[in-house]
Amino acid sequence: MQANQVRQFVERYLATFSAHIVESHPDYLTVKLPVEVDKDIGNRPFYWSWVDKMNLAYQPLVLTFAFHPDRMPDGLRAEHLHLGAGRMQQIFASAKKHGQFVCMYEQNTASLPATGKRRSTPLVPWLGINLKVSFLCDKRRDLMLYLGVNLHQPRVVHDFSTYLFQLPLSPAIPDYFYTLDRKISVEDALQMARQEAEAVIAKEDQAWAAEAKARLAEELDILAAYYEELAKREPQAEQADADDEEAEKAEEPQAAQAIVPLPQTEAPPVAEPVVEAAQTIDEYRSSGGRILDFLRANGIQVTPREEINQEEWKKSTPEEEKQRRMDELRWQYEPRIEVHFINGGLFYLHSNPPVQKLSGAKTVRHLPANGRIM
Amino acid sequence: MPNVPVSFDTSWISPLTERLHEDGPWDKWELFKLALEAEEAMAVREFDSLQCLNYLPLLSPFPHQLQTAERVLNDMRGRAILADEVGLGKTIEAGLIMKEYMVRGLAKKILVLVPASLVIQWTKELQQKFGIPAVAQKKEYMWRQHEVVVASIDTAKRDPHRRHVLDIDYDMLIIDEAHKLKNKRTRNYQFVKEIRKKYCLLLTATPIQNEMDELYNLINLLKPGHLGHSTSFSTNYVEGKRQSKNSEKLREEIEKVMIRNKRSDGGIQFTSRRVQSIPIELTQEEMELYEGVTRFVHDQYKTGTGLFNSLALITLQREVCSSKEASFMTLYNMHQRTSEESLLRAQILELVEMIKRIETHSKAAKTVELIQQINDKVIVFTEYRATQNYLQKYLHDHGITSVPFRGGFKRSKKDWMTDLFQNRAQVLIATEAGGEGINLQFCNQVINYDMPWNPMRVEQRIGRVHRLGQKRDVHIYNLSTVGTIEEHILKLLYEKIDLFEMVIGELDDIVERLNLSSSLEENLTQIIMDSASTREMALKLDNMGHAIRASRQPHAAPALSEAAEQ
Repeated sequence: MQANQVRQFVERYLATFSAHIVESHPDYLTVKLPVEVDKDIGNRPFYWSWVDKMNLAYQPLVLTFAFHPDRMPDGLRAEHLHLGAGRMQQIFASAKKHGQFVCMYEQNTASLPATGKRRSTPLVPWLGINLKVSFLCDKRRDLMLYLGVNLHQPRVVHDFSTYLFQLPLSPAIPDYFYTLDRKISVEDALQMARQEAEAVIAKEDQAWAAEAKARLAEELDILAAYYEELAKREPQAEQADADDEEAEKAEEPQAAQAIVPLPQTEAPPVAEPVVEAAQTIDEYRSSGGRILDFLRANGIQVTPREEINQEEWKKSTPEEEKQRRMDELRWQYEPRIEVHFINGGLFYLHSNPPVQKLSGAKTVRHLPANGRIM
Repeated sequence: MPNVPVSFDTSWISPLTERLHEDGPWDKWELFKLALEAEEAMAVREFDSLQCLNYLPLLSPFPHQLQTAERVLNDMRGRAILADEVGLGKTIEAGLIMKEYMVRGLAKKILVLVPASLVIQWTKELQQKFGIPAVAQKKEYMWRQHEVVVASIDTAKRDPHRRHVLDIDYDMLIIDEAHKLKNKRTRNYQFVKEIRKKYCLLLTATPIQNEMDELYNLINLLKPGHLGHSTSFSTNYVEGKRQSKNSEKLREEIEKVMIRNKRSDGGIQFTSRRVQSIPIELTQEEMELYEGVTRFVHDQYKTGTGLFNSLALITLQREVCSSKEASFMTLYNMHQRTSEESLLRAQILELVEMIKRIETHSKAAKTVELIQQINDKVIVFTEYRATQNYLQKYLHDHGITSVPFRGGFKRSKKDWMTDLFQNRAQVLIATEAGGEGINLQFCNQVINYDMPWNPMRVEQRIGRVHRLGQKRDVHIYNLSTVGTIEEHILKLLYEKIDLFEMVIGELDDIVERLNLSSSLEENLTQIIMDSASTREMALKLDNMGHAIRASRQPHAAPALSEAAEQ
């Protein structure tokens, strides 16, 4: 994203919330954040829970976004906004949060029948789904899929969103139009979209997955050979040389501890972290909880002094080590594909999206293929 | 795609059905479009090309750093030893790789293990240069609470921290100064081995210090078995401790896991250093003071009343070469420590009287002259606080703006002073090399008002301005008062050791090899104090210079390091 694209994006984003632009300079933008925006990108959750709870008038946050790092405004606290900036990522997240589901109607007055004839025109229901397909191994590539499913006469088209962006759309149904019935459910439409996505995936170049698998197999072989040899040569594992106190002392003057597996009772497990708690503080607060309780429940207790045990040190056995290394390799290389939902919605269209080009070959196949030639 | 599992996100079905049922609430069309555009901006279009630069508009890495990042990503698949020579920016390379994996959503939980002294610097650098929200580990909870943690290995390996670290699956592990892990029997080594990690970077400028085994151990930490079992490694590749065989094959294997950029590879241009000694003739009165102090120092050292230790005495001896203010403070403190009726008091007071009589200050005057002549930003380094204060006043009296800089300043104050220097003042008067992460490359003039005796510190001073990013030649002026020990020391450092002519990084090597860093100052003190005459002192210093020189001679380089160097 270039500086001007970033600026346009931010301006459009702010405009949808009717933000008050205090100053619009070619190099920067000073804006008074509207409530929703402040809550999403203002970084002050505690302020908001306080204002909401006490029912106070809120003090809007005023921020200055600069777009050219070499032309920062003088005497103003400005932040440089660019694709990698934390604030930009928050703005992205906010746009995604508020732009998930829509319901739009085509407003194509040009295609209306001549005035005077008050005949109603039908609109066809479509389900639009934007997906991101990620091909993952130790590397990653994404593929965007903008699918549209005709809910009246079941079929799937590609680049649906791209098509939509060219149409005049409005959130309200225009006069003299009516909507056709949905013949299939959202679940059925999902099935069709899913099959379509899988068809697309099957047609993608698969070299990356084969390569990752080959790499994994090769590394696993090396590993197997290594540990086999290790077991042969050092049947007692490396325990014998595990406590070379000389080396230890030479390198760590203070914390010199020989590495001897001590036949001690295992120390109690570390205080279990509850970080991945399902609830965020906002959810917790909105369900009426006290902040202090939340912190108590979700904080990590410090391990009590008496449970700290410097002696307890277990070196993995070669088998454990091998297993760990094998797990690491699979984690690193094993190819997998994830299909994520970006956003979607219901669209009532008068015009007909074009039948597909290259990637939509699958869709075309449903139609009488020889029809055109004749 | 055959045999590749596909997971299909269905979490959106029920919220959408619900809205269909309720006919709303629906989101705004414009935000729908923006959400899609945001996803498009962040989508990773290709497997192989670097994405992270799109997120780092302020960073302009050098070509060798970008190539390194690409090779680690594409050829080494995220497990590598980064072994660039000192000063080529291993940290930048590691940052690029880390950022790339983060941008691609392949790494979230990241652990950076570094020596304790570098924790803050790493944290700052990751935050400022790479926009990575790294935190320096301080409390136990932080292991879990934060995604990117920078910690010292000595903390991490100790309970209870160890239990957290070994319990977490790290997407990425980075270890700086990894040559400290060369011995597989140490607990540090074993600890790192136990950490579960997906990607791993080991950073070191000296992958082999002494023995071939060190490199084997390092590689085995990264990829166990890559070079086979240690015994077969020895049979296949090792001739003697430092000699390898089958070098070609070994080099190939090492190249798969290690990248070593060298200054001599070209492409990275360092500007040159221009060193000048500025001799300063002391006035009669100043010389008398110097001689008076020297006599006092030697007498005290010999008679050994034990009242003042040799360190205090040698300091006084050095201070008198710097400024009368510096020696005055020390004399004053000595005076306070002697008893009222002590004979020493009289001697000390006599020296103080001499100081009072001196009106001129030849060294400071020369400095002003030099600064006016340079007519550009200048950094003046001195060893002593008193000199620093005095110089600031002296420069001010001569209409030269300056700001002070000390090691004791808080980070924010250091940044502020750097800023003032860059934008407002002509001169920065510093008592220390500036500390890590302070960026002074905009200046290319350095005056060593007095000399530290530790060559590493001299190098650190110069290294602040003479580094990647310096666009002009660096001028270094060494002030030395004629006929004092200062002159001798400078001769040793400058003429005998060629200190200033060394390539960046070379000094580290020698100092480490001779184990000089701690002993050089001690040796110098001894030579100066124990020599009966100036001649004897000069001779001994000369010998020392020869010894250091000799160790610089390129001795028969072990073939392995050559193999590894490629």
